Amino acid sequence: MNTRRLAINRLRERLPADGAVIDRFIARHGAPIIEGERATFLFRGAADEVWVRHRVVGLPDPLAMRRLPGTELWAVTTDLPSGSRVEYQLETRRGEHYERFNDPLNPIVAHSPVGSSSVCVATGYEEPSWVHEDPEARKGEIVEDSLQSKALRREQPVKLYLPARYTRAQRYPLLVVHDGQDYLDYAAMKTVLDNLIHRLDVAPLVAAFIPPRDRLVEYPNHAPHARFVARELVPMLEGRLSLLDEPTGRCLMGSSFGGIASLSTAVRYPGDFGSLFLQSASMVFTDIGTDHGGGPAFDPVVKFMNRYRAKPTAPVERIFMSCGTYEPLITPNRSMVPVFRGTGMTVKYVEARDGHNWADWRDRLRDGLSWLFPGPQKFVYE
Amino acid sequence: MMRTVLLGPQRFMTTAGTALRSLGVDGPVATINAGWEEREDDVAELDQVLGGNTSHLRLHHRLLDVLAKDAAFAAAALTFRDRHDALLALYRLRLGFALDAAYAVQRRVRDAARRAPGDGSADGELAAYGALDDAVAEVRHVDAWYAAQLKELYRELDERAPLVASGVIGWHRGEIGALLDGAAALVMPGGNVGTLLRVLRLFAIRIPDELPVIAWSAGAMALTDRVVLFHDYGPEGAQEAEVFDRGLGRVPGVVALPHARRRLRLDDHPRMAVMARRFTDEHCLLLDDGTAIEVGADGALPVGARILGTDGAVHDTQRALS
Repeated sequence: MNTRRLAINRLRERLPADGAVIDRFIARHGAPIIEGERATFLFRGAADEVWVRHRVVGLPDPLAMRRLPGTELWAVTTDLPSGSRVEYQLETRRGEHYERFNDPLNPIVAHSPVGSSSVCVATGYEEPSWVHEDPEARKGEIVEDSLQSKALRREQPVKLYLPARYTRAQRYPLLVVHDGQDYLDYAAMKTVLDNLIHRLDVAPLVAAFIPPRDRLVEYPNHAPHARFVARELVPMLEGRLSLLDEPTGRCLMGSSFGGIASLSTAVRYPGDFGSLFLQSASMVFTDIGTDHGGGPAFDPVVKFMNRYRAKPTAPVERIFMSCGTYEPLITPNRSMVPVFRGTGMTVKYVEARDGHNWADWRDRLRDGLSWLFPGPQKFVYE
Repeated sequence: MMRTVLLGPQRFMTTAGTALRSLGVDGPVATINAGWEEREDDVAELDQVLGGNTSHLRLHHRLLDVLAKDAAFAAAALTFRDRHDALLALYRLRLGFALDAAYAVQRRVRDAARRAPGDGSADGELAAYGALDDAVAEVRHVDAWYAAQLKELYRELDERAPLVASGVIGWHRGEIGALLDGAAALVMPGGNVGTLLRVLRLFAIRIPDELPVIAWSAGAMALTDRVVLFHDYGPEGAQEAEVFDRGLGRVPGVVALPHARRRLRLDDHPRMAVMARRFTDEHCLLLDDGTAIEVGADGALPVGARILGTDGAVHDTQRALS
C-alpha cells in the first residue's frame, strides 16, 4: 500500500510559500494530480470561492475547493477509482460574479455538441488505440444523401458509411445511428469503423448516420420518427445498397435520448430489426406516481418506459447496452437489464467508470460492434 | 508416393523454403494464395522464399472475374451466401447452447469428484449416467446437422448454377489445370480460409496424389476433411470452435489448428477436453510456429506431432498415429 502523503499535503507543510514555489509545484505535478486512487484538483487565482463542477453521481457537486493559506492556490482532493474518466469544469465566485470554465491547468479537453469540458483521467484509463486514424487501415467512404420523408414532412439528410472494398457481390448488415452527425464528430465513428473492420474485430457493415431536427420531440417515442426509420429509410437503403435482407442484419443505435428513439422504434415495429445498441439510454421510469425528476422533456420518455415495463415485449433478438457508472442513468439502465432478459432477448450489458459523454460512448464502440457484428477473425489464419 | 508437409505459421519463422528444398523437387512451384484475397498478387516475399520459380494460380482474381462475367452464377452465389449465413446463424445458436450444456455437465462431474476425493463415489455415480458423453454427443449431433444442411445447400447451388454450364468458369479451370499439370510442387499459404475454400470449390481443384504439397495456416486447414474455425482471444473473448466446411480431404482424420498457442486457451484443460472429445474421430493437430511435419498418405501423423488429448492437455505423439 502506498502510504506516501499527497503532494498537496506536503506543500501545505511547507507554507508559507511564495509564487515561485507554487510555480514549481504546478510545473512538477500538473493538474489534476493523480496519486493512486486520489485526484487533487487545483486552481490558481484570486476568487472568493472556487468549485469543481461535474456530474459524477456519488460525489458532491459542486465540490468546494479550499485556498492554501497565504497563497492563491486552491485545491480539493477526492476519490478517483482506477480506470475512471471524469469530465468537469471549474467555477469561481468573485463577489456576485460567477464564472464556469475549463481547467486552465489541464490541457486535456473533451468536446461535445454543447461545448467542451476538462477531462480528469485516473490511473488505469487508456484511450483505445482504435479511436485514432490508422494509416494501415483501409478507409471506408462517407456518402452524403437525403430522402424526402412523408413521415417527418421534410427533406431528411443521411450520411452513409460504406466500408472499404464495398461490393454488390456481398451483402452487408445495416446500422442506423441516431444523432449520427454527433457520433461522427464526437465519437470519431468513421475512424472507429475503419479501424475495427480493418482489424477484423467487426464485420464490414453499412451505417446510416441520421441527425435529428428537434431530438427532444423526435426521439422519445415519436411515431413519425419511427415510421421514417422503419418504413422510409430502411426500405430506401435496401433498394439502393447491397444489404442483408433479414431482421438480424438490421440494428438501431443511439445514446441518451437516441437510445430511447432506437428502443421505441423497435417496439413500434417489432421484428423489423434484429438488434439494438443502446448507450446510456435515457430509460427513466417510475414505479409509482409521475415524479421522475427529469423535467418536462422526460415526460414522454417516462410514459413510454412505464408502459413498456408494464408489458415488456421482445421487439429484437439481441441488445447491447452500455452505461457509465458515474451518470444518473446508471440505475434505470441496470434496472432494465433483467426486464429485457425476461422477455427472452439476449442482452449484453457493460459499464465503465465514466459519465454521460461522447468519449464514454466512443470507448464502448468496440465492445458493442464486435458483439453485434463479429468480424471475420475466426476465418483468418495467416 | 503422396507427400504432404504441414508447417506452422510463416510470419515469424519462415521454414517453407527449407521444406521445399527437403522435398527435392525440380520445376516450377504452383501456389494457391487466394486466402490473401485482394493482396493475392503481393507475392514478392513468397517468391523469394520459394526460390523464384513459381506459377501463381491467382484463384481469387479468377473468382472476381467469374463474378463480373457470369451474372447467373454471381446471383446464385449471392443467394447461396445468404442461405449459408442464415444456416451458420442457426448453427451457432444451437452450438452455443449444446456446448454450454456440455461445460455445465463437465463442471458438475468435476465438482462432485472434488467433493468426494478418494472413493470417487459421487464422481462415479454421475459419470455412470454418461451425462458428459451424451452432452458431447449432442454437440457432435449439431455439427453433423450443420454439415448435412450445408451439403444440401451446395446441392441446390449446383442445381441452380451448374459449374459446368459456365463458360468463364470452364475457361479458368482449363488454365488452372494446365498450370497444375506443369507444377513440380504446390504451396498453399494461409489467409482467409473461407475465401480459400470457396475458390477451391468453385474451380474444383483436385490436387494430383503425386504432386508434393506444402501448406500452412489456412492452407493446411484446407487440406483436411473438416475445417474447424476457432479463436479464443477475439474482442468478444473465447468463442466456440465451429465446423465450417469440408476441405480437400488430402489430409484425412486431422483437425488442423494453426496458431494454436495464440488462438486457443490451451491452459483451460476442461474446455480443451470437450474440444478433443467433440472431434474424437480426428486428431486435433497443433500447428504453431516452427512446426514442420510430413503427413502420411492416410493422414498418419509422425512421432513428435503435437495433438490435443481427451484430457485437454497437449501431447507429443510417441508413435506414428493414423
